[in-house]
Amino acid sequence: MSKSALTFTLKKNLTFKVDCSPLTPDKLTGMSLDKILETTLTNSIKVIDLFKISGNNYEDIIFKKSTSKLDNIGHKMSRGSITIEGDCGDFLGANMHGGHIICNGNAGNRVGDQMRRGLILIDGNAGDYCGSRMIAGNIGIFGKAGNYTGFAMKRGTILLTENPKLHATIQDCGTHNLPFLALLFQNFKTLSTKFNHIKNQRVQRFAGDLACDGNGEILIISP
Amino acid sequence: MRATRVIITALNLKWAYHAANAMTGFATSVIGCGVEAGIERELSIDKTPDGRPGLSVLMFAMGSKVLMQQLETRMGQCVLTCPTAAAFAGIASEDNINLGKHLRYFGDGFQTSKLIGEKRYWRIPVMDGEFLVQESTGMVRAIGGGNFLILATNQTKALEAAEIAIKAMKQLPNVIMPFPGGVVRSGSKVGSKYPKMFASTNDAFCPTLKGLVNTELSDDIESVLEIVIDGLTFNDVSNAMCAGILAICGLGESGGVKRISAGNYGGKLGPHHFKLREILAKK
Repeated sequence: MSKSALTFTLKKNLTFKVDCSPLTPDKLTGMSLDKILETTLTNSIKVIDLFKISGNNYEDIIFKKSTSKLDNIGHKMSRGSITIEGDCGDFLGANMHGGHIICNGNAGNRVGDQMRRGLILIDGNAGDYCGSRMIAGNIGIFGKAGNYTGFAMKRGTILLTENPKLHATIQDCGTHNLPFLALLFQNFKTLSTKFNHIKNQRVQRFAGDLACDGNGEILIISP
Repeated sequence: MRATRVIITALNLKWAYHAANAMTGFATSVIGCGVEAGIERELSIDKTPDGRPGLSVLMFAMGSKVLMQQLETRMGQCVLTCPTAAAFAGIASEDNINLGKHLRYFGDGFQTSKLIGEKRYWRIPVMDGEFLVQESTGMVRAIGGGNFLILATNQTKALEAAEIAIKAMKQLPNVIMPFPGGVVRSGSKVGSKYPKMFASTNDAFCPTLKGLVNTELSDDIESVLEIVIDGLTFNDVSNAMCAGILAICGLGESGGVKRISAGNYGGKLGPHHFKLREILAKK
């Protein structure tokens, strides 16, 4: 049987926030489609109330018609991929331990909060506190990032295309050619994202958050 | 033996060669150098992990422990130090040895790691920017010490033949010829009259001793050169030997080479025997 991505298509416009943290490759593995439909998301709302689902590859998840009401997508995921066709809410990829998330639209606040490994690429904008408390991993924002980007980040890389308003404990380290970006961009080429066209390895490097060791970095690149 | 491959890249091929030449320097024989190492081939920008010009280096040792020690030392002194150089794993294996895992501490806390795909890299801040190195590379079982001897009418003819053989052999993957220019003049025999020496000059092939020892040389042979081959597999070594010998044969009688022989050390040095007639018969 050929495998197709497990797809969650939102059935209606939401007026409330939904916790999508149960919908990751880690948590869905071994579950039947019926059981997934009965999974409770927020309060007593179940998957079947909000989504149509199709596909059978639990390592490759797609959210279609996604909106900013869907929070916690990719929470604690450690493998596989999640693609978001549309916008998503807060805490995208929070506590992530591996795998990758591609968001074709905009993301809310706290993208990659406390993420440890993995890759998050957002073609649109990200809200405030992007990469907050980040432990390691890579986040890319092709659009604009909000305030307090990299707040309390320990390690990891946040790749931006525009200078955000940075807080006082993020330090400008100058403009450089970083050889590891060649490897990172090659890795992007396999993904369906705006980032797969970037070739420029020259970046302005900001280190931070100096309040938390300062081994993280925010790189501003001209695409 | 154990072997590993490292890919060294740099801003251009000139600086990749500087790093690789330093790394493979003083690495002709495991007896005195710990490892035998050499540049396997040049890599174009589409064959290297970071899209820069590069070289692949093969390194052989008698055991895994000494290979690890030598690799780390040479990485630290020869590649880390070389402007613009970066180093990557060149061979996949279940057994891995450290490439940049310990080297990272040179970063004094400013080093950062990057997990890209399934591979971990270290970024070490250095004065010309960043030294990028993969955390580990593969280690495989390999074969060292394949050899053949070129018996020629004089020294010049022997050297010309050796150079032509090396040129042909360098076209092949998975092998290195670790001696200077790929050629050895001081072939050895096992043992010595001096108790502390476990190898000494191969007197049977020394032309100036023809009247003194049980020589292997006929009157018309005045010079002998040896080519030693290390390879990842038996076939790699035998293919390289075959290519080298056939290149010499292509010179014809005017090339001055009278015989091709090999040091077999009574068939007791190592488990692999490269029988010249069988190797050539396959071609």
